[in-house]
Amino acid sequence: MLNENDVKYRLILYFARRGATVWLAHLDNMRLFERAFNRAGWPIAWTEDAFNPRPILVFGLPVGVGIETRRDPVEVTLEQRIELKPMVERLNRSFPRGVEIVDWGEAPDTRKSLMSLVKSADYMIEAPSIGQAFSRTFEGGHPVLISWTRKGRTSQVDIASRIFETYVVKKDSIEFKGGAGSDLHLRVDLLLEALVRDGGLSNDDALGARVVRKRVHCDLLPRCLPGSLDKRLE
Amino acid sequence: MQRFESPQFRSILRSVAKPARYVGGELYAIDKRNEFFSLREEDRVHFAFCFPDLYEIAMSNLAIQIIYAALNRDDHVFCERCFAPDVDLRSLLRKRDLPLVSIETMTPLSEFDIIGFSLHYELAYTAVLEMLDLAGIPLRAADRNDSDPLIVAGGPIACNLEPMASFFDLILLGDGEFQLPKLVDEYREHKVSKGSKYDFLRRVCHMDGIYVPAFYEPRYRDDGQIEEISVVEPIAPKSVRKAIVRDFNLAPIATSPIVPNMEVTHDRMVLEIFRGCARGCRFCQAGFTYRPLRERSPETLVDAAEKLIDSTGCDEMGLLSLSTSDYSNIDGLTRALLPMVEPRHINLSLPSLRLDAFDFDLAERIARTRRGGLTFAPEAGTQRLRDVINKNISEDDLFDTARTAFENGWDRLKLYFMLGLPTETDEDVEGIVDLTMRLLSVWRDLPKERRSKRLFVTVSTSFFIPKPFTPFQWERQISINEMREKQQRLADGLTDRRISYRWHDFESSVIEAVLARGDRRLSDVIERAWRAGSYLDAWHEHFDYDIWLDALSLIPGGADFYTRERAEDEIFPWEHLDIGVTRRFFERERRRSREGRVSLSCFDGCSACGCSVWQTGVCSPSVHDACSDNGGVSC
Ligand code: SF4
Repeated sequence: MLNENDVKYRLILYFARRGATVWLAHLDNMRLFERAFNRAGWPIAWTEDAFNPRPILVFGLPVGVGIETRRDPVEVTLEQRIELKPMVERLNRSFPRGVEIVDWGEAPDTRKSLMSLVKSADYMIEAPSIGQAFSRTFEGGHPVLISWTRKGRTSQVDIASRIFETYVVKKDSIEFKGGAGSDLHLRVDLLLEALVRDGGLSNDDALGARVVRKRVHCDLLPRCLPGSLDKRLE
Repeated sequence: MQRFESPQFRSILRSVAKPARYVGGELYAIDKRNEFFSLREEDRVHFAFCFPDLYEIAMSNLAIQIIYAALNRDDHVFCERCFAPDVDLRSLLRKRDLPLVSIETMTPLSEFDIIGFSLHYELAYTAVLEMLDLAGIPLRAADRNDSDPLIVAGGPIACNLEPMASFFDLILLGDGEFQLPKLVDEYREHKVSKGSKYDFLRRVCHMDGIYVPAFYEPRYRDDGQIEEISVVEPIAPKSVRKAIVRDFNLAPIATSPIVPNMEVTHDRMVLEIFRGCARGCRFCQAGFTYRPLRERSPETLVDAAEKLIDSTGCDEMGLLSLSTSDYSNIDGLTRALLPMVEPRHINLSLPSLRLDAFDFDLAERIARTRRGGLTFAPEAGTQRLRDVINKNISEDDLFDTARTAFENGWDRLKLYFMLGLPTETDEDVEGIVDLTMRLLSVWRDLPKERRSKRLFVTVSTSFFIPKPFTPFQWERQISINEMREKQQRLADGLTDRRISYRWHDFESSVIEAVLARGDRRLSDVIERAWRAGSYLDAWHEHFDYDIWLDALSLIPGGADFYTRERAEDEIFPWEHLDIGVTRRFFERERRRSREGRVSLSCFDGCSACGCSVWQTGVCSPSVHDACSDNGGVSC
């Protein structure tokens, strides 16, 4: 972590990913960003680890394989000020097709990591008759328990408690706010599993579903519009 | 991007491990379908570059970048990629009856004009059959007709693809970067003329490095050895000589290579600093088949490095060649590269050997830029055996380099050896232990404050595999029992807790040896092994020895027929192929090896290997003039 008197600049960039890059696992996605920053000549700060220095990049949420994003935050630490608009444009040209920075803003003035600020996320899922399966699964408001095995340990996860708000339920698509990052993190694959088990969604439709994370909600993050930060940094 | 909108595609990707292998979309991957498909059918050639292994292996290979760039430069050619699917996707494709498709446009392989396989190791052969079959293409050239794609193969082991000869229409020998585009161009003209596949093969069989297996026919004696290889197509040349890039500075460098999105086995930028080798280690096939040694100038390389750094953003750069410390201006090149990589946190992986050849300051800087350990390949444990194999490493060099490295804080040492080399004795095996222990002492004897705190030593052994076009092409491979015994002897000696010992599989080494010096009768064996389930054999978890043994029962004598010592005057299955180095040279080198006599490298004198016909590279005619026929000027 950085010292009090560090002169480095921390920024939050918001990215969308679509197309082929949706199928990258988190670590690969991270390396993709590192390389794009290198190509675009961003003065990213590096960790001071003598043996294995790494560029300082923090993703608000890991990006799951098969999940599109529209506005996921990533925090970068820079060695020096840069003129943001042209540098973001340059960065956007350095990504492989499908990844794009859609917005940016100053990092919140806190010692907490970006990851710990993330609380929830908005999702859109498309699959045939998913609306009905969703309503069926969660009607009545009781817990929907799915067991989840990780590193040999199986636990019961209540999916219902991790869906904070339902925005839209249509025949072939749903939109909702789910827990993210925190203890109440919602795994989309487990949700789909519940929809198959309790809602009658077909397994094949679940596998073929389109999953879009439209927005990630964090504490303390100011909402800025593209370009507005340039002025503030001057 | 349409396909990503398809639920069926998504459901397949969600059902397999590492779906990123199959989706493409990498930086600099080329998708010119719109322009390409608007050309008239006869004006375009659709080429599928196939690598019979998983994405992460395929994309670690420089060959693909070179060929991809070289072919796609031409607007009339669209080169796409297709790699072997992992077993999960393979069974899914079979279950749903889906064809194997290209990465860039998801075109079924069977719709391409030409399918080109890049072959780098024998254990990939069954994956070639699997890919053809998944594509719905008949396996055997003889069973395909004019509407099927042309199936071609090339790569470092193309010098003996006889075991696969029945499956390929055409094989490319030698350097591909100029030869393959030329061949593809010929193919386009052939499409215009609307001739048959046979017409096309006749038309190109005189080009350098173009080998049409069907135009040659071996006849076997009762004992299975080859009696004669006859030319059955009257216009085909008696022998096929490899293609070669004479001026390596003119060979294009892929300065915007495809940058994989997912991690691959060798994830770095690569600068091929020279091709060929001047050393003549007697077991090394590449050392002879790529002769003569041809360098790129430092200017060319520095310019390419600059572009690669900007275009890829990778954090590691590797200098590639068969013997990097032989680059004539390695010091100058390193000096030019370091200031480019240091400020950008890029690791430069440099040859470990002859670190002492750099001055101390430079050695220190190199040490600081690299993460990996120090790597040596003495190949044999005693000087006697190193003389037999002509491995020119002196122990002094080894110890000096190790000392410099330890003093600079390096704490990992990797040593590579071969077991089962011709004339090897117990003493040679124990020599490996001895050499390792003495390298350990170099570290131990340094004052504590001047050396790395810890030391990890890895000793890796592989088993010697006699390869075509080497002085050892006549030698036998040791039996599995001998392998086990040697490996055990070594394991018993390497007990220091700082040393870990790894060895290569016994059984896959046997199959590799069978295929390496195999003949055409093995086509049936390979097909049978594949039908019995053999696939991705280079992966330990997939290799099944019993399947291969069973398939080899088709051959009288089985595996032993191929691993045996060959008669001095035996006609090899590859006798009609010409990689430049002559059989006479190999015979001479084998004799010298038996006498424990080393031969000079091309830098120090010519051994008259035959490659002077090209008059290029370090192989200078004036050196050649001075050479005699008995093993070089040194005799
Ligand atoms: S002809 Fe002589 S100098 Fe040339 S590659 Fe052969 S041995 Fe080396």
